[in-house]
Amino acid sequence: MTAPLAALEGVSVDFAGGVRALDDVTLALPRGTILGLVGESGSGKTTLCRALMGLVPHSAGRILFDGEEQRTWQRRDPRGYHRRAQMLLQDAVASLSPRMTIGAALDEPLRIHRLPLAEGRARLAGLLARLGLPAQIATRYPHQVSGGQARRIGMARALVMQPDLVVADEPTAGLDVSVQGELLNLLLDLRAELGLTWLVVSHNLNVVRRITDRTAVMYLGQVVEEAPSRDLFARPAHPYAAALVAANPALHGGPRRPRILLQGEIPSVLRPPPGCRFHTRCPVAQPRCAAEAPKLAEIAPGRLARCHFPFALAGAAA
Amino acid sequence: MKALRDAAAVLRAACRSFAGALGAVIVLLVMVAALFAPWVATHDPDALDILNRFAGPSAAHWLGTDHLGRDLYSRLVHGASVAMAVALSAIAIALVTGTTLGLLAAWLPPRGEAAVLILFDIVAAFPSLVLALAIVAVFGPSTLVVVVIVGLTLTPHFGRVARAQALALRSAPFLEAERILGASLGRILLRHVLPNILGPLIVLASMDIPVVIAIEAGLSFLGLGVRPPLASWGVLIQDGYQYLSDSWIPVLVSAGALAVATLGFTLFGEALRDAVDPRLGRDR
Amino acid sequence: MDDPLLRIRGLTMTARTARGPARILSDIHLDIGRGRILGVVGESGSGKSSLASCLLRLLPPNLERLEGSVDLAGTDLLSLPEPAMAALRGTRIAMVFQDPMSALNPVFTIGTQMVDVARRRAPGLTRAQALAKAEAMLARVAIPDPRARLAAYPHQLSGGMRQRVVIAMALLAEPELLLADEPTTALDATVEAQIVALLDDLRRDIAGSIVLISHHLGLVAQLCDDLCVMYAGTVVETGPTAAVLAAPAHPYTRALLACEIEAGDEGRLASIPGEVPDPVAPAQGCVFAPRCARAEPRCHAEPPLLRDIAPGRRAACHFPGAVP
Repeated sequence: MTAPLAALEGVSVDFAGGVRALDDVTLALPRGTILGLVGESGSGKTTLCRALMGLVPHSAGRILFDGEEQRTWQRRDPRGYHRRAQMLLQDAVASLSPRMTIGAALDEPLRIHRLPLAEGRARLAGLLARLGLPAQIATRYPHQVSGGQARRIGMARALVMQPDLVVADEPTAGLDVSVQGELLNLLLDLRAELGLTWLVVSHNLNVVRRITDRTAVMYLGQVVEEAPSRDLFARPAHPYAAALVAANPALHGGPRRPRILLQGEIPSVLRPPPGCRFHTRCPVAQPRCAAEAPKLAEIAPGRLARCHFPFALAGAAA
Repeated sequence: MKALRDAAAVLRAACRSFAGALGAVIVLLVMVAALFAPWVATHDPDALDILNRFAGPSAAHWLGTDHLGRDLYSRLVHGASVAMAVALSAIAIALVTGTTLGLLAAWLPPRGEAAVLILFDIVAAFPSLVLALAIVAVFGPSTLVVVVIVGLTLTPHFGRVARAQALALRSAPFLEAERILGASLGRILLRHVLPNILGPLIVLASMDIPVVIAIEAGLSFLGLGVRPPLASWGVLIQDGYQYLSDSWIPVLVSAGALAVATLGFTLFGEALRDAVDPRLGRDR
Repeated sequence: MDDPLLRIRGLTMTARTARGPARILSDIHLDIGRGRILGVVGESGSGKSSLASCLLRLLPPNLERLEGSVDLAGTDLLSLPEPAMAALRGTRIAMVFQDPMSALNPVFTIGTQMVDVARRRAPGLTRAQALAKAEAMLARVAIPDPRARLAAYPHQLSGGMRQRVVIAMALLAEPELLLADEPTTALDATVEAQIVALLDDLRRDIAGSIVLISHHLGLVAQLCDDLCVMYAGTVVETGPTAAVLAAPAHPYTRALLACEIEAGDEGRLASIPGEVPDPVAPAQGCVFAPRCARAEPRCHAEPPLLRDIAPGRRAACHFPGAVP
């Protein structure tokens, strides 16, 4: 395997008030792949993305992009970092400056990076056509475009800089299923055409299973499992991943209840449980889990899990 | 273009109520008088006519004449120029310094923010009349002094609103999106934050115009501001007051003009505020 | 369904907008059987939430026209005087919203709010009796340590707990009709699974009927006996959930099902091209015709009526798919 495009190595992020939003996260984004990031609210998915984009400082570990540390990038060429690593925020409409036309918003990256306007606009026109947006949309304002259109506008704005990495935070949130498929097709096509590396955050497991190569599952600021998506959804190793997969209701097969039903809810990140962070809700927790925190370890070729007893729940999951 | 269309829509909304429409008409009249004073006036405001002192209203002198026989109507019209020039330049000073400091406060680390806020508190707590007396004692009375004093005392007013508005925007996704695109802080503040906080600040400015007009008239009345023979409304009232035993007409018309103008700007400013954001009215 | 609990006939609602009247609901005919769970699905703008508001008669301020009848076991909800309607809300009809905080008053304890609900239903109850009922109901919705929770304020509970409390309050009213509008959308996946399991458990001992409004077909498939598919303010298909999912009759239902991602799917993802029709300028014919792959000239000219296509199944389509 060649060196990954971006990697987090033991990264922690601390917020004011002693909140550790990310704790010892290690994650690699191989070039040209789509990595899915799943987990519930408060699990640190968005913080991970923001740390990767350099929007929040990390207090431990290192973040590598194209073999160089993020801090080196920030010192040497901060704008260059943002040209190569882009992120699409969850609320696509609110990501557009409300008093700017779409045309002006699309010009922003060209002006910020002092790229030649004529050439950049020609590339934008090509991108708009590729993304299925009418050219006249440039005269509209953000409140006059739909959620799906705003997402494409955000994509065009990110892609005009020809980045290598695009992070998409909940790319289908708030979209109706009738337009979701089109957007995901686009995402897959763009990877193939431009050799992009994607990090896709989503709470929609169906979306993640369908479009990603690998999936990382987060719980309380930690990555608890990372594996090829096919393997993870077929046979989750971590009990939390198993519960998450089992909680995903299926369309056919009539009424059925998830075979794994977790008790309680995610504890507060302010006071994470000692030992394994999941032991308070884990159906197969042992005394060892409360005493000793497991490390993220390779449990099978290409599969990582942070659990003393991987696959203990695998048989019960769908 | 959007800003212009927004402004037109807000103006229409402000004029929908009777008070707003009345205010708008008065504001329009004062502005026309101020801008086109030489044409709107019927006489030279400083032309003396000693033989015709304290004349009552007539066809030649619509509002009569003062103690030196000067045409009162023409002096009031020119007084509008002075009032508007002082008000607009003082508010421009307050708007620019206040907004700059307010934006800075919203983006500075906590300690810097506290420093700016303390500065605002000190300026706001200082009695502006005492400040005016002190400055006049040093520099002597002049229009410029009035403008600077009033501008500085109003700065915290704008600064606090600018900071509050900017704080509300701080975590807006479109600002984060700009950071992701690689925009510098200066670009974010000027191109993205400023246009979005300007609306309430302009409303605030329109509501402060009558305050400044009244302060200017007050300082000039006390002899601390605009100096005679320049026709400020404050000077007109002062002149009329001295000769109150000879004629009550000069005091009545000049004080009346001041009252109507401040009322008009207040009504218009309030209507504008309600049209932009009804919540602002209750928060202050 | 010989004697449905709720009978909706010709329900039409329009609202004033800056561009003219907008058609929110048009000519809805729908029956809800006693003791059944009806799932109402549709995309944004389909009118599913407006339908729920109509059932509670919580009408938008820009309402222009409301026609038709909504008959709840002999009571016409649309012609009822407001005081009588107000008395009906929270007693004969209860509602569970997407955001539990909107249904809970932040300054009163859970116990106080539940006692109010219990006494509204049974005015003779003493406070102690009402509290006992509330505690039992909290236990019923699987809230641990219910007695302690009665003294808690809403903000002291987690999102999942709050939604359980809201469900418990709704059930305390022993409603004939329980409306649930996206009850799990704001919750996390594992908590959603808990609430779904709870609703699934409760269905057995609820006497009344439930209307579950959701954009989530998987959820509806799991919980509901009957399914109602809405599009652009109209009902396009109704029928038993399993039957509709197995052999959808309306092209829109088919397209919607094709968009759902399921395990083992390969190839390109499906979507429905085109846009939802403008409610201010509705089309002449079938609402779905502009996006329908198999629309014929007749579809663009003449709106299809919701009609029986098989026992228990209805569809509003000139050319419905074959139904076994």
